[in-house]
Amino acid sequence: MAHEVAETTQQVVMNSTFWTATAIFLLAYAIIVSEKIHKTIVALVGASLMLVLKILEQHEAFHVEELGVDWNVIFLLISMMTIINLMRPTGFFEYIAIKSAKLGRGEPFRIMVIFSIVTAVLSALLDNVTTVLLLAPVTLLIADALEVDPIPFLITEALASNIGGTATLIGDPPNIMIASKAKLDFMAFIYHLTPAIIVIMAIFLLVLKVVFGKRLHVKPELKKRVLEMNEREAIKDPLMLKKSLFVLGIVILGFVFHGMLNYEPATVALFGAGLLLLLSRTHDPHHYLAEVEWPTIFFFMGLFIIIGGVVKVGLIKWMSVKVLAITHGNMFATSMLVMWFSAFASAFVDNIPYVATMNPLIIDMAKQIWPNLQGIQLLHNPELMPLWWSLALGACLGGNGTAIGASANVIVVGLAERAGKKISFVKFMLYGMPVMILTVALSMVYVWLRYYVLKF
Amino acid sequence: MRARDIMEPLQDSLRPGDTLKDAVNRMRVAKRGESRFGVKGILVLDEKGDLVGMVSIKDILKAIIPHYMTMTNLGEFTWDGMLEEMSRKVEGRKVSEIMTADVITVDEDAPLMEVADLIVKHNLQRVPVTGKDGKPVGIIYVRDLYYAIVKALLEKED
Repeated sequence: MAHEVAETTQQVVMNSTFWTATAIFLLAYAIIVSEKIHKTIVALVGASLMLVLKILEQHEAFHVEELGVDWNVIFLLISMMTIINLMRPTGFFEYIAIKSAKLGRGEPFRIMVIFSIVTAVLSALLDNVTTVLLLAPVTLLIADALEVDPIPFLITEALASNIGGTATLIGDPPNIMIASKAKLDFMAFIYHLTPAIIVIMAIFLLVLKVVFGKRLHVKPELKKRVLEMNEREAIKDPLMLKKSLFVLGIVILGFVFHGMLNYEPATVALFGAGLLLLLSRTHDPHHYLAEVEWPTIFFFMGLFIIIGGVVKVGLIKWMSVKVLAITHGNMFATSMLVMWFSAFASAFVDNIPYVATMNPLIIDMAKQIWPNLQGIQLLHNPELMPLWWSLALGACLGGNGTAIGASANVIVVGLAERAGKKISFVKFMLYGMPVMILTVALSMVYVWLRYYVLKF
Repeated sequence: MRARDIMEPLQDSLRPGDTLKDAVNRMRVAKRGESRFGVKGILVLDEKGDLVGMVSIKDILKAIIPHYMTMTNLGEFTWDGMLEEMSRKVEGRKVSEIMTADVITVDEDAPLMEVADLIVKHNLQRVPVTGKDGKPVGIIYVRDLYYAIVKALLEKED
């Protein structure tokens, strides 16, 4: 399985342009990690420097697929955010959350399990931030009603959201980016990642049972408060809800068949956003569009351009040679290295810039191993495929490691603090790190079994 | 007439370090004029007597409604007794956390039209009046201003 890798480092010309681009890249990432300046501003300034210093031509940044902004990612994100913004006022998510709590019959552990499952499923279909932002407030309300500590509920929701988000192409930004770069379709993620996530989720729930199964108690008279809630009252706009579910249904069907029908995922999502805006009969789209998380979108755009700069000057290629040197071109070893390194990297730094860097790095690695292949034959080389899945599993599940590992964690910690329940960095890690290590270890076994032993 | 002519002189006030429970108690027994009627809004002064904020009944309500409810539509799912429970939960919160820190004030020499304009533009119930040194010396309530209008109209009729 080991590959002889031709010594190609000499092809990288380490001139002043190389070092300037490398300096912009390293400095930008260092400032993003330090959080001294808002990450979006850092990314935009870094990107503009790549252009002003002529490391990258504007044409390359805007219009060249390998070097510039990945519009597939941008439009997929914008469109999904718009659909959710239109859907949110209908009360659908509150309905789901209250219904879940009632299904739990006011039993705290049952509620924890049901909320974890609901969070995981919604996170697989929508983005994690939205899911947590919609479910966490209801969780706090239920915890107040039952007079139990909301912290275990909130943390397990964040963890479940990151696990669930790993399952699909649209579940988590790393997957969206990987799918676009590696030209993998929605069903490929369902086929390769969803089974792993179902197993991981089941074991995660077993762990919850061991840890919390006997610890959560509630006075019988308090359960009545939850059982008396009428989830139907959550629905504010039944007509718009029907329209939203109709469009969401079309979008999900579109995702299932996009590979077969030769549509990019962004096309599907954009169609859904346009259609739902039309059906909503709003005369004021400004509000729904303004609520798109523009700072995140611009962060992506800036990062893509910064990465384009260091791809062009050869830094990423140089790095890929070094990685292959460590693993001696052994693809299984490379997969495992990528998975574990991704997990720990994503636990402490934003996984978006990390994956933005890793995507071209993996492609450069593949080019060195198979210099005669290109396009889909290169990207979908059977020996390369486990690497993409390892990157996805590592980068997504790694987010569980710490309170800052994923946006969902940051939101949960913030909401808890506003509710007067502080979740310290260490406290989150006591839950998150063991779950991260367990889930990545399970992923490791999965990748090994599926791609290197059973090979299907 | 100017602001100082219709204002009610400053009597009771809070410190930023007082608790929400202190605030409720002080507002309940605060003087309005000569008698202890209680007030719906009270100024927060630091140790030097400078104005740092204002606490009104609305601020107390806001402090008692959990943050997770303000960001969603969960009002239908609350229960009997929740308001009382939440009140007791937040009784120890500091006045500095719950007060409105951005307070619109008028100078004691300000003409009444300026006061009326501020009250309507910013939807205020009361405006602190500041003296020469910038420290608060009194409060004008919407009602005080209205009395000035009543007086102007009725005296004209007479």
